[in-house]
Amino acid sequence: MRLAAVDAAAARANLSPGQNLSDARALVPELELREIDRAYIGQVFSDFADWHSNASPIVAVHPDVAPYGDLILDITGVTHLFGGEAKMLALLVGRLRALGFAISGAIADTVGAAWALSHFAPNSIVPEGGIEAALAPLPVVGLRLDDAVVAGLNQMGLKTIGQLYGRDRRALQARFGAGLITRLDQALGRIEERITPRIPIAEYYAERRFAEPIGFMDDVLMTARDLAVQLGLTLEAEALGAQTFHLFLYRVDHKVMNLTVNAGRATRDPNHIAQLFVHRSERLEGEYDAGFGIDMIRLAASSVAEVESTQLGAFEVRDGAQDLDRLYDRMTSRLGPLALVRNKFVNSHVPERAVKLEPVIARTVDDPGALPDPDLRRPLRLLPQPEPINVLAEVPDGPPMRMVWRRIAYRILKASGPERIEAEWWRSGRNLEVLLPPQAREERGDPRDDSPKRKQAPAEPEHVSKLEAFDPLTTVRDYYIIEDDGGRRFWIFRIGLYGAAETPRWFLHGFFS
Amino acid sequence: MPGLASHDLEALRRKIAALEKRPLLAEGAALVARRMGKAAPAGPGMADPLELLAAPRGVLHEVFADEQRQSGAALGFTLGLARQLLTDERQAILYLQLKGETQELGLPYGAGLHQFGVDAAQIIIGRVENMTELLWAMEEAIACRAVAGVIADLARHPKALDFTVSRRLSLRAAAAGTSAFLLRYGREREASAAKLRWRISPALSGAVEFDPRAPGPPRFLIEIEKGRLGDKTQGAEGRSMLVDWTENGFASVEPERHVGAPPQRAAPPSRPVAPALGDRLSQAS
Repeated sequence: MRLAAVDAAAARANLSPGQNLSDARALVPELELREIDRAYIGQVFSDFADWHSNASPIVAVHPDVAPYGDLILDITGVTHLFGGEAKMLALLVGRLRALGFAISGAIADTVGAAWALSHFAPNSIVPEGGIEAALAPLPVVGLRLDDAVVAGLNQMGLKTIGQLYGRDRRALQARFGAGLITRLDQALGRIEERITPRIPIAEYYAERRFAEPIGFMDDVLMTARDLAVQLGLTLEAEALGAQTFHLFLYRVDHKVMNLTVNAGRATRDPNHIAQLFVHRSERLEGEYDAGFGIDMIRLAASSVAEVESTQLGAFEVRDGAQDLDRLYDRMTSRLGPLALVRNKFVNSHVPERAVKLEPVIARTVDDPGALPDPDLRRPLRLLPQPEPINVLAEVPDGPPMRMVWRRIAYRILKASGPERIEAEWWRSGRNLEVLLPPQAREERGDPRDDSPKRKQAPAEPEHVSKLEAFDPLTTVRDYYIIEDDGGRRFWIFRIGLYGAAETPRWFLHGFFS
Repeated sequence: MPGLASHDLEALRRKIAALEKRPLLAEGAALVARRMGKAAPAGPGMADPLELLAAPRGVLHEVFADEQRQSGAALGFTLGLARQLLTDERQAILYLQLKGETQELGLPYGAGLHQFGVDAAQIIIGRVENMTELLWAMEEAIACRAVAGVIADLARHPKALDFTVSRRLSLRAAAAGTSAFLLRYGREREASAAKLRWRISPALSGAVEFDPRAPGPPRFLIEIEKGRLGDKTQGAEGRSMLVDWTENGFASVEPERHVGAPPQRAAPPSRPVAPALGDRLSQAS
């Protein structure tokens, strides 16, 4: 175990990151230690990254090179908003420092160079083309290398990055592996290094900054409406609409809240968008916490699609589809994305699989082959989970006579059935295999022998029972429609057969009207 | 107010509506029309009990079943009413249920809906967390021009559903022309502003041809406990009738033929989508 980071007091006691734990304990017996909490650090850094999207659209958390994390911002084309690179760096570093964090930063053309500089020459800004000179005096650790490689380089007397510049690349690669060359090239900008932004880049957005932080939800929603108007104009200019809208609330204290609403069809109507956010906010219930205030709000659109300008045609069909879609949007934003569903038929004969519930805002195309057979009588209501019942029925296959369901006894007057519904063997995950009868298998070794023996009927029943015993999904159900003496009509089924090893079980699955 | 001429009353209503910046309530308009003597009062001998089953627009119904286990009959009857409200412009019926009561009551099953002449795509199922959300969703859906009917299925007697709320729903329904149905269970009745209250019990079904042991088409015993729709329902309160659900919509069954006799039409509707089904009934009325 090693030390990952030390505080000021520990640094004064000559402890340093990377030191062996036992060595450190020997130096400072009363050393206070805490194990590194990676989950917590990861959480804090994602918050940081989200928050910094108010400075630049592309922000990434650098995967763990250092134990305490690095934040990378692509500031191409945004520095003028802050009054230049120097001012921007000072602002970003300064505001985190004001929150009490120890932080250092640097600006350079490449991710590698910026990393090296921020760790070993903080606050430096490298002008274009000055990378080689700027990196030359820095230690080789700045290239984001493994400890073993760094140790090896140091052993050879290669202490600074500058010493690597003129070396034979092939020799270096042979000695230290391809990683060193890659890192060196990345730092110097000879090969590209990509970063993945945490928040997907929204092409269309509108934002507003506040001189004074705001806190009330009503203010936020009002701003959202204003932004929706702005965004609507932007989208209209390009004949576009969007299905998903994100509202990012940047809090003064490095946190970002995200509200997302979805529309059933692409829209750019500000009133509708604002309405969706109002409903969404009602569902927050205490999750909303403005902290010390919100100083910036951004409304971004994703899932952009083309939307024609609205013009009422002379032959337009008023089928209310648009009204319905809007209703679904409003209800979904308030009640949750899964609250509103519709029945969608699936090509399956198993009752509970034949119909699936699909959210109305994410509708898919209907499968015309999946429509149910109209001649089959199906119940009006189906229980999500079939309930076990006690049934008295004629043996072996007769209709049920009595049933006990939810501790109430029913006398059954009429019944029709059984309708046998088999399980779907193709879903059991087992490939279909040809099971040869035992004799045939024996004879297989001798193909010339086309004796009458082979034509004999194989022992069929054995196979069938074997197959069933193998497959846990093979549950045959026998459905009955029953009517009791009160006129109530139920749909019940039986698993298993009378006379088999196991006594059959009965379940109630649905209600007829 | 016997001294007040009917057109004065109408003028007053219009004035109030203008002041409140709201359209004249359909309910009020109907009242005005009746006061003006457009419809002659019907005697206690009503024309056809089935006429009542042609569902009017913009009315709050209460459909009561005695027990939860009769939920199938209650839903079937309600769909039989609501399906008549579907038009080209109003193509959806919203069914609302509390999330915790799904296993108790069961969910409308797509493959069985066509029996009641409703395309499964026209039923939208909403599962909500609590009564507040349910009532909000009901109002929101009632206000939508493209919704034909809203069905709220309530297994219990929630406190939130009091007279004020039902009055509110009733007014909204009248204003928007969307009918709302409250499916309730039990024998208790609370004060409610619903215009129509039905009590539904399933009845022993008629026989099926060639298979006397099989359950026949759905048969209900319908009792009109409350009817406040003007002349049409005058004298209808307290009446009960026995109806079958057949290919042609509701068909009344003669009480003496009830037990043992074969029904008029035995087979259930045979096609999944039958939008024209039952229109003959509404045309006749």
